[in-house]
Amino acid sequence: MRIAVVLGFLFAGAYLVAVLEARLATGRLRLAAPGWAAMALLGRESVVPRQPDRLFFETAPALLLIAALLAAAVLPLAPGLFITNLATGALFVNAALAYVLVALLMAGWGPDGAYALIGGWRFLGQLIAYSMLIVMPITAVAMRAESLLTTDIVASQTGLWNILYQPLGFVLFFIAAMGVAFLPPFDLPSAEGELAGGVTSEYTGVRLAVFRLGRLVLVITLSAATVVFYLGGWLGPVLPPWAWSAVKILAVSATMLLIGHYLPRIREAHLLAWCWKLGIPLALLNIFIVGVMVLVWP
Amino acid sequence: MNNALAQYGVLLGLAVGTVGLVLSLYAAARALGRARRESGKDVPATSGRLARDPVWVRYHARYYGYALLFLAFDMEMAYMYPWAVVYKQEGLVALLDMGVFLAILFLGLLYGWSQGALRRQ
Repeated sequence: MRIAVVLGFLFAGAYLVAVLEARLATGRLRLAAPGWAAMALLGRESVVPRQPDRLFFETAPALLLIAALLAAAVLPLAPGLFITNLATGALFVNAALAYVLVALLMAGWGPDGAYALIGGWRFLGQLIAYSMLIVMPITAVAMRAESLLTTDIVASQTGLWNILYQPLGFVLFFIAAMGVAFLPPFDLPSAEGELAGGVTSEYTGVRLAVFRLGRLVLVITLSAATVVFYLGGWLGPVLPPWAWSAVKILAVSATMLLIGHYLPRIREAHLLAWCWKLGIPLALLNIFIVGVMVLVWP
Repeated sequence: MNNALAQYGVLLGLAVGTVGLVLSLYAAARALGRARRESGKDVPATSGRLARDPVWVRYHARYYGYALLFLAFDMEMAYMYPWAVVYKQEGLVALLDMGVFLAILFLGLLYGWSQGALRRQ
């Protein structure tokens, strides 16, 4: 029952993200649009390109969805409202998100298409850029909470949310989270303009529908991770805890989409340079600052 | 222990259930109709002309300098997580221990940077 409620939340959130994405793309707010689009994709032909690596081609869309759902499975929406409460939750999020890379590499390699292949390898470079900015800020969060339990991490923010306690970590994590979800301006693997859709270019029909669903759930998952690690999870006055989680998660997703809407796509070489020459030194500095603060003023 | 196993069981069930969802979506799409076989339809997107070479050729990963440094940092993070959990109770000792470790790693990053590892090769 509890699991069904969380999954319902996730898919409802993914639907709303799709509505927002369509609003930004078309300028019109139509609540039913993603539903119609999904049904249309279901009815369309799902063409398999000639000479594919069939195993990779078929695995990729499902694996993307599984990776996003597994990462979301350890994030609590309210006290007692989670799929699992693993003792290693904060680490498990990283482990599950690593499979996003595997899924996109498979989607790039599988169909034997030039654009898809370039998109897939590009995402490997993107992982090398964003990955450290996911794990290092989470370490600083775990230092304050003295636990990897995601519920403990939320509880540790009762006095002061982590966005104020470690703002540097929040900024780095937020940017890196947009990189994981390959949202603009970090949509290098699926770049519409230059790669004709990149990793998604060879997917049609129901396979594309599953791929897009996985991506939407991934956006919600990363928003939920941002909320749990930095925005105090379910904490907040008046409203019930689950409502606070829902509001915060949607607000973070909307912010991510809006930021991407107004920025040009970054070049891969620039992304790597910025992340390694500025991002990682800042992330290490963040660990050090939080380390001192935890001892002085917990 | 039992509890942890049960939780991993739930996660496994979630993964299997997702596969089931995807397969049932595929079955629903198949029930609506199959792809019609037409010549040229299955050619991968190549802007209107066939690729001259097979695309599974070597892709030049121009970020390999970063990738090698990434390996060092990724291994280091495996040590950071247990350290982070016990950090507060160990106190200043933990800060100095990891401080030295991270300082060495950071010097490695600076050295790599000075040798030109941090650029598109």
